[in-house]
Order: sequence, then C-alpha cells, then structure tokens
Amino acid sequence: MAKGYNDPAMETRFQDRYYHSADNPEFTKEVERISRTIAHMCFQCGTCTGSCPSAPRSSYRIRKFVRRAVMGLEREALTDPDLWLCTTCYSCTDRCPRGIAPTDIIMAMRNLAFKWDIIPRNFLKTVQLIYTTGHGVPNNDVNRAARVKLGLEAEPETTHKYPEYIPGIQKIIDHYKMKENADRILAEGEH
Amino acid sequence: MHEYAFFLGCIAPNRYPGCEAAAIKTSRKLGIELLPLKGASCCPAPGAFGAVDLNVWYAMAARNIVLAEQMNKDITLICNGCYKSIYEVNERLKENDDLRDGVNEVLAEIDMEFKGSIDVYHLAELYYDPKICGVDKIRDSVTRPLTGTKIAVHYGCHLLKPIKERRFTDSENPMWIEELVDALGAESVQYRNKMQCCGAGGGVRGFDLAHSLDITNEKLINVTEVGADAITEVCPFCQLQYDRGQIEIKEKFGIEWALPVLHYNELLGLAQGMTPQELALDLHGIDCKPFLDKIR
Amino acid sequence: MAEEKKQPRIGVFVCHCGTNIAGSIDVKAVQEYARTLPGVIVADDYQYMCSTPGQTKIDNAIKENDLTGVVVAACSPRLHEPTFRTATKEGGLNPFRFEMANIREQDAWVHMHDNAGATAKAKDAIRIAVAKAALLEDLYPKSVPVEHAAMVVGAGVGGIQAALDLANAGIKTYLIDKLPTVGGRMSQLDKTFPTLDCSQCILTPKMVDVGRHPNIDLRTYTEVEAVEGYIGNFDITLRKKARGVLTPTEATEKGIVGGGCNGCGDCDAVCPVIKPNPFELGMKPRKAIYIYHPQVTPLIYTVDFDSCIKCGLCVEACGEKKAIDLDMADAFETVKVGTVILATGYDIFPIEKKREWGYKQFDNVITSLEFERLICASGPTGGHLIRPSDGQTPKKVAFVLCAGSRDNTGVGKPYCSRFCCMYSLKHAHQMMEKIPGCQPYIFYMDIRSFGKQYEEFYYRIQDEGAKFIRGRVANILEDAKTKDLHVYAEDTLLGQPVDLTVDLVVLAAAIEPTQGIDPVRKMFGVSCSQDGWMLEAHPKLNPCGTTTAGVFLAGVCQGPKDIPDTVAQAEGAASAASIPIHMGKVELEPYFAQCIEEKCAGCGMCVNLCPYSALALVEKDGKQVMQVTEAKCKGCGTCGGFCPGGAIYMQHFTTPQIVAQIDAFLLGGEE
Ligand code: SF4
Ligand code: SF4
Repeated sequence: MAKGYNDPAMETRFQDRYYHSADNPEFTKEVERISRTIAHMCFQCGTCTGSCPSAPRSSYRIRKFVRRAVMGLEREALTDPDLWLCTTCYSCTDRCPRGIAPTDIIMAMRNLAFKWDIIPRNFLKTVQLIYTTGHGVPNNDVNRAARVKLGLEAEPETTHKYPEYIPGIQKIIDHYKMKENADRILAEGEH
Repeated sequence: MHEYAFFLGCIAPNRYPGCEAAAIKTSRKLGIELLPLKGASCCPAPGAFGAVDLNVWYAMAARNIVLAEQMNKDITLICNGCYKSIYEVNERLKENDDLRDGVNEVLAEIDMEFKGSIDVYHLAELYYDPKICGVDKIRDSVTRPLTGTKIAVHYGCHLLKPIKERRFTDSENPMWIEELVDALGAESVQYRNKMQCCGAGGGVRGFDLAHSLDITNEKLINVTEVGADAITEVCPFCQLQYDRGQIEIKEKFGIEWALPVLHYNELLGLAQGMTPQELALDLHGIDCKPFLDKIR
Repeated sequence: MAEEKKQPRIGVFVCHCGTNIAGSIDVKAVQEYARTLPGVIVADDYQYMCSTPGQTKIDNAIKENDLTGVVVAACSPRLHEPTFRTATKEGGLNPFRFEMANIREQDAWVHMHDNAGATAKAKDAIRIAVAKAALLEDLYPKSVPVEHAAMVVGAGVGGIQAALDLANAGIKTYLIDKLPTVGGRMSQLDKTFPTLDCSQCILTPKMVDVGRHPNIDLRTYTEVEAVEGYIGNFDITLRKKARGVLTPTEATEKGIVGGGCNGCGDCDAVCPVIKPNPFELGMKPRKAIYIYHPQVTPLIYTVDFDSCIKCGLCVEACGEKKAIDLDMADAFETVKVGTVILATGYDIFPIEKKREWGYKQFDNVITSLEFERLICASGPTGGHLIRPSDGQTPKKVAFVLCAGSRDNTGVGKPYCSRFCCMYSLKHAHQMMEKIPGCQPYIFYMDIRSFGKQYEEFYYRIQDEGAKFIRGRVANILEDAKTKDLHVYAEDTLLGQPVDLTVDLVVLAAAIEPTQGIDPVRKMFGVSCSQDGWMLEAHPKLNPCGTTTAGVFLAGVCQGPKDIPDTVAQAEGAASAASIPIHMGKVELEPYFAQCIEEKCAGCGMCVNLCPYSALALVEKDGKQVMQVTEAKCKGCGTCGGFCPGGAIYMQHFTTPQIVAQIDAFLLGGEE
C-alpha cells in the first residue's frame, strides 16, 4: 500500500514489508510430496532446532523452515541461504514428537530451490563430476599409485574400471535434465 | 563363506584405499567374501546429490542395487553415506509402488529393472551379527591385540538415523560398535555428545567449510577430553572430515589437533596383524604413528 | 411366536437432523422412495424427529393407520433408539416393533461431499430397515433382582470416594486393592495443586473412614481372580494374597486371644532382609516384613514372600501376639454384588525409553513422582530436595514437560497426561519455597491450566519467579565430572537454541494404564480405547458407564485426570452404580436366545460355545434340551449361528429377519 509520503526514504522504510507474504498452498503440497513426510503436523515445539548441530553456530532454524512449509511461505524458504546448512544428520527426525522428518523437508526445499536456479556451486560441481566419471569424489594419480602398492588395481571395480557403464548413468541424469540445468546455472553464475 | 557384492562408493577407493583393502582381507578371515560389484558408481551422495534432485538420487541408487540383483547377491558396504543411499532406496522402493514404478520407468531406458530381490547391509552390522560373524569371531581373529589404547567411537548419522527406517533400535546411545572395538583388545571410551554429527554431511562441507569444521572441532574437543588415542568410525566420509578436517581446522582456526582417525576396518586390519603399509595409513592426513607406537 | 400374523403396515419417518442429514441427503427423495416400499403405509419427514412434535407424528401415525411397525431413519440407535421406542409404545405398539436406520453417522457424515451417493445409501438403509420391521414381533423385557451390594476395585482416592458414597447410601461395599493399604497414588504426593493442601492430610481422614465404615468391607492385598454373572448378580472370586500376618480379628478366630498384629513394628526391627522400598520408588530401604507407608490403612504388617528368607526372627519378636504366620497361603472367596466400579488408576510410563533424556543413565535426572517423594517431609530425605549424585541441594532445576506425552514417535504416548503442567508448576513453587535463591526453569510446549483456579495458579508461580521456556527438550547431556546436566532445547519464542546447565532435571513423565490390569479389565468385559485406557459407554453422555451393564469406571483408569476430576467421576460412578441397587431389579433387553425344543437334538455343542456361560443342557419330557439363563445371555448369537439343527431362535435377530434384510439389500433397490 502506497502511503503518499512526500519523503521516498520514509515511503520505503514504512512499506509494511514485515507482513507474511501471501502464502502458496501448493508449496506445502509440493514439499510434502517430495519429502514424503507430514510437514503440516508440526506443532512448533522446537525439538528439532534443539537437536540441530547447525543451529547454535548459525541463524539456521529448522523449525522455522518447517513452519514455512506449513504456511506455504515459498519465497522465504527457498531464498534463505540457511537452507544449505543442514548436515542431514537426522537428529531432528529421530526426536520430532510429531513423527515428522524435518530433514526430508529441507531436502525437498533444496530440490525446489534448484528449480528456482538457487543452489550453491559445490552441489552443481558434484553433479558434473558424477555425470562425467560416475563418482562424486573421483580417483587421482596419488591414489592410483597407492592402490597399486596395496596390491589393488589402479582403478577400482566401479565406473572407473568399467567406463562403459557411464553412458547409462548419463541417460538417467539427462532424463531429469539435471546436468543441463547444472551447467546452465554454473555458466550464468560465471558472469 | 558368506558372499556379498561389495559396494565401494567413492571415498574409500579413491581417497582411503586402505579401507577397501582392509575390508576385503579382514572379512575373508571372518568368513565373509566381498565380491566386486562391477560398474557401480557413486551411491550417489545423499546430501550433496540428493539435495539437487531426489528423483535422480533414487534412480541412480537403484541402478547400483540392480547391478547386485543381477549377481543375485546381497550388498555390503563400508560407508554410512552409501548405506543411506543404497539401504534406504532399496527399502523405500520395495515398499512404495509409486516410487518403484517411477524409478523403473527411467531404468527401462537403460534396460534395467529394480526387482527388490536383495538386501543391503553395512559391513559393521554383519560383523556384529552372530549369525554371520559376531563379536566372538572378531575377538578370535585378533593376532595383535590393541591393548592399552583408548578409542572413541563415532557412529555417524546415516548408519542409524532416521531410526524408524533402520534395522537398529537405538540411535541415542548405542554400544554395539564399542563391543566390536573392545573385541580387538582396545578400550572404547564414552564421551560427551557421542551421537553428534561430524559436520561433513548434507553438502555443508562444500557449502560452508568453516561451519562444518566448527562442528568437527566440537567433537574433537569432546573426544580428547576423555583421553582417546584415536577415533574410529565406519564411514570414510566422516574419516575424511576428522582426518583432513584437523589440517583444515589448523589452517582456518589455528588449533592444532593430532588425533589419529581410523576406519574400523583399518583397526581390525591392525589387530589381525596387517602392517600400516598394507593399510596405506601414510595416506592419512593425520599421522597414525602415536597410535601405532602404543600397540607395539 | 404363534400369534396370528397381520399383514405388515409400516410407517417410515425420515429425520433432517437440522442440516446434519438434510445437508448431504435429499430427504424428500428418500421419503418418497420409502412410500413405494412393500408394506409401507405412510412415510413422513421432519426437522427433528426426536423433538416432541416429531415423536407425536409417530404416535399419531400408528393410531391413524393401525401400523404394525415403525422405522425412523435418523442418527445412531445408541443415541435415540430408546426415544423412539417410547414413542412407538405411546402409539400403542409394542416398543420392539421399532427399527432404526442410521443415515447420519453411517451415511450423511461420512459421505458429506457425495450427495447422490449418500441419498442412494439412505434409500438402501431404509429398505433394509423396512424389511426387518415387517417381521418384528412383540417382545417383553425380563427383570432380574439386584444384589444389595457393590464392589469397588482399586482403593486410590477415586475408589475410596466411590466406596464411601455407596456405603453412605446404605449399600454394602467391598473395597479391594492389590496393595496392603488403601490410598493409591495420592498418598505418594506431597501437596496438591492449586490449593497446596497437604495430600496426606486431606486423604488420610478418608482412608480412616473406609477402614471403619460399617458398610465397607475393606480387602487390601487382594486381587480379582474371576468374575461371573451379570448386572445385579456378579459372583466375584477374590484372591486374598498371603500376607503372612494375622489381623486381630483373624487371630481371635484362630483362638489366639488378644493376638494379631497391632502395628508395633517389633518385627520390622529384627528382619535382616533389606530391599528397595517401592512406595519411595526405591529411594529408601524396606524390610521383608513391612508396612507400605507410615499412614497405612489398615495398620497391619505384610510379609514380602518374594524376599523373605523365613529365618523366623520376626515370629520370635512378635511373641505372644502370634501375629506372624510364615506358612500362610493365598485364600479365595467368592462374593456376590449387584454392581462394580473399576478405579484401577495408572502407572508412570517408563521414561527411560526416551533415551535422549537420560533417565537411568544420568544420576540427576529424576521423575516428578520421585520429586514428590524427595520434597515430602515424610519422604526418604525428610523433605530435603537433593541431587541424587551427591546429596547437595539443587539450585537450578529444569522441569521437562510433556516427557513422553503428546508423543507420536511410537515410543511415548500420543495423549496429554493432563496433570503434569499443573504439578510441575506446583513443584516449582515448592522448591522456591524451600530453597532460597533457587531457580526453576520450566520447559513447556503449552501450559494447560484449564481447571478452576488453575490459570490463577500459573500466574502465581510465574510471579514467584519461575522461568518458562517455550520449547520441548531435545536432549540432555551430563557433565561427567560435576554430574551437572546440560539441557538442550530451542527457546521457540526467541528462535534461539538453549544450552542450560542445571543441577537437577525433573521429567514430567507420561502416565499409562496400570501394569497388568488388562486381565482384570477383560474379566469384567470392559473394552479399552486405542490408547489403552478403559472405554466408557459414551464419552460425553455416559462417561462413568461401560458397555458391560452394571460395571462403571472412576478415575484415571478411564483416562488421565487430576484429583478433582477423579473424585467427581467417582461420585458419578457411585451414583450410577447405586441406581440398579436401589431399584432392586433391572430390566434386561429381551434379545435372548430361545431354544426351539422340538428341533433341539441335545448335542450340547452350543453350551461350550457361549462366551457368557448362559446355556445348559436340561432334561425335559424325557429328552435332553438346551436351556438359556436369560439374564446371562447377551444375545451375541454365537450359539444361534452355530446350531446345526437350527434349533436356536435369536429374539429380535431371527434368521428370517436377517435374511429379509440381506435380500432387501441385494435384491431391492432402484435399477
Ligand atoms: S520437532 Fe517436529 S513438531 Fe517440533 S517443531 Fe520440529 S518439526 Fe515441528
Ligand atoms: S538433519 Fe539438518 S536440520 Fe536436522 S538436526 Fe541435523 S543438521 Fe539440523
């Protein structure tokens, strides 16, 4: 609501931006669909945050993300960089008295953030590595030498030794256009 | 001999090959034969990869499982991250038709089908299971007991949690890996907040290294407080976080730790008489020598 | 059965129930459909059939149309069958010529969003009811005499109150308890909220009253062994557990003049066996010969034969009183009562199952009941609250609410235990009163202070200085050296994680039904709800009754409640249980099995099948035939369904009636 103040600075300052933004019930549904957990049953007890190793060292509050899921606060959830501080330790999930898996809510939100092109680079790099080698942490020369010393083959019995399996993996990833999107987001981030 | 398809994952074969070598050799002495699972890939990483698109996570994990189905062997593995992906996807696909149908639609493109015909186990779990191996058999296999060492156990998160989706019963204060450690002649020690995460998971190590190391540092404080000579774990990713992490902590925070970090299979290897060379302990970031000196 | 049959003339009445039914069912269409059914003479509808004008419609229709049967399509028969039976009777018909079609609970409410489907289902239900109504017969309820005595099982505050009410109303009442004393949980409490009366002070007079009331036959250390019979005539076998000690009366009966236990405690002094004291939750020792607590009623010692080594020292110490008999065995007695009240209370949920809070792992994590004993002047520490690890006085204490309650993890209990909020407030008050400079922290999700003067009590405790942290405790860790505890939670109001170091943690552990109570519950034919508590006949309109006629519930055995609610329900149960006794007789629904003697082959197979032992074989006209004790028969139909010769006739649920209903469903209908 424009207030008609003469001073633009005041107009900005009092633009009532601290209201909840309009909620999107579809967001709640999407989060529940992807996470396969009953986010809407949260009663905000805070057991999750209290269990969370990331909470005391950051502003990340898992409880608030669950709340955002319940209220359909899509933008607040997906644009908050704290979304990426969950270590997926599942402590919250084991203790939540409502039997919710908050960790999986975070995972679902990250998936949805990716669709908004919001995702830290390291995740995309992992995608590229897996796409090209089959491994998130691929072999290297130091390691190859060490393997041989141990009496192992230089390449493990994985896609490293059998690269003929890689096209199959690429087909799976391409089916979901994951690599394509990762490349694009990374490229856009370059400039 | 109990035969299993050995799912390697990434970090064990590509960073700590000693874990891989030790797993194969130590298990053979316990009547467990680990067969190569040819063409397996990254599990894929539940946090770093699953965070991007869980659909791909399900499908790629399923591909790895199908490779074992084709061998008609249950899978065993030595990494908690792999355990989450492979065990959990296997169970979820078995239980949920909608998930399975979705995955099989994609797998059909590469002429594969998830059937749900095998089971997945962590190797440590097999060691503890008296029907397969059991603590006594571990104890009997020891030729060089780790007497005089104090060892802190880090279970790691994805082995036990979420507990509702696991075979285990206690994720708050389990003691079974301690039993496996004690069987080697070492003394397992209890420390504050044993079940806390190492800090590496969920892509946090890559996203915000300092944040993740701060969690690791807290664990290191708790472990050294009770005088542990080493940490043991059953996850090469936790191992990486503790081992390389100590170097990174020094770089970032200026705190110097020198706590050896050994995968349970490496410990077991030592106790069964394998040499540090056979275990490639020289690849560790933190020198294991102080620990090795204790058992000499 | 042999009366001459008239052509059926049936009236159908469809109720709108405001919009409860009419909101999802096309009542007019249903009513018109009903008119087309065979035998239906009149069909009508009305806003509220249960109202006076609604009932008058039935009355008039019967008279005007000479009806033989009445069908009302409305709510559940559990609610209004009695109402419409009365209306049917008013119209001059036998009340059992009424049949009800449930188109509300089983139709309108469950198919709220499918009007067409709900309407079709209502038509089906009415067609089925009409088919039965056409075959209904006149039936006459039986009445049986009621024994002028009652039994109350469980002698906590609820059982005590119920027994006193019954006894004061002139009814002989057996009050039994499995423990050697009356008093129950309430005698373990120090003070009660919100009045802060001393629990023992207000309970002890009532304990004494039940001990000496002429109409109360108090049986402690006694359990229910077997139950037979039915309302008005329960035969209950009691197991009087071997107590090893004679009361003065028992001694006199045995010819030991002036003997028997006088509670002197000489035996206690010499007994060499030391065991944990369960009344003090193991925080104090107890001998193998003991009184349960200092205020026991009756004041008689008891031998714990599980730990007694039979050394005989106590027998010597007792001397001439000859009160102790170490060879005593359990004794059985069967008593007859008209009605029964179950008041079997609760146990504390084993909170160590919630591993994250460290109970039984960390010394200084205790339960609220342990707190009660520690703060109680007659408790193991003489009322000094201490840290179990070092005996020091705790200054900072955390109270963990909803410990195992409101818990859907599968480990704890999904329900609210209902009194933990209030007693935790009281605990905060008690420690602030006793320990200068102390600080209670209350970790809560919601403070449920719903009772009279409860919210005011909350205000008072907050004013006294208790700090409230809105967040459920995530986990508790112990400092290995100091044994202090770190309580982790989120202060959800600030959105900040909390790591609070305290001296003592008190877990307000959930409650659960008394261990081992299930067999007793089943003996009385009482069901339990999903959460394990005993099931009342109706949650709102019959909260004291059960589905077994003559068996009533009082107190927490029916669901968590505090002392005022327990006592109120106990008084309600006593009132309900006294009604049949004062009436002197009860009417039984005439849904009995009947034997068609010409067809009965006397095989007797039904006799063993009957779950209520209502059947027997008797000799009649030179042949064996089955005979039904009508008062015992519940009309379940087990025998009728089984009888190979079709010789059993289930009144009001006859084979032709049921077949007609099935036919009407399968063969009738539109299209
Ligand atoms: S623990 Fe569960 S119920 Fe409590 S705030 Fe977190 S998600 Fe909600
Ligand atoms: S899983 Fe994530 S949100 Fe949950 S406690 Fe662990 S780090 Fe925190």
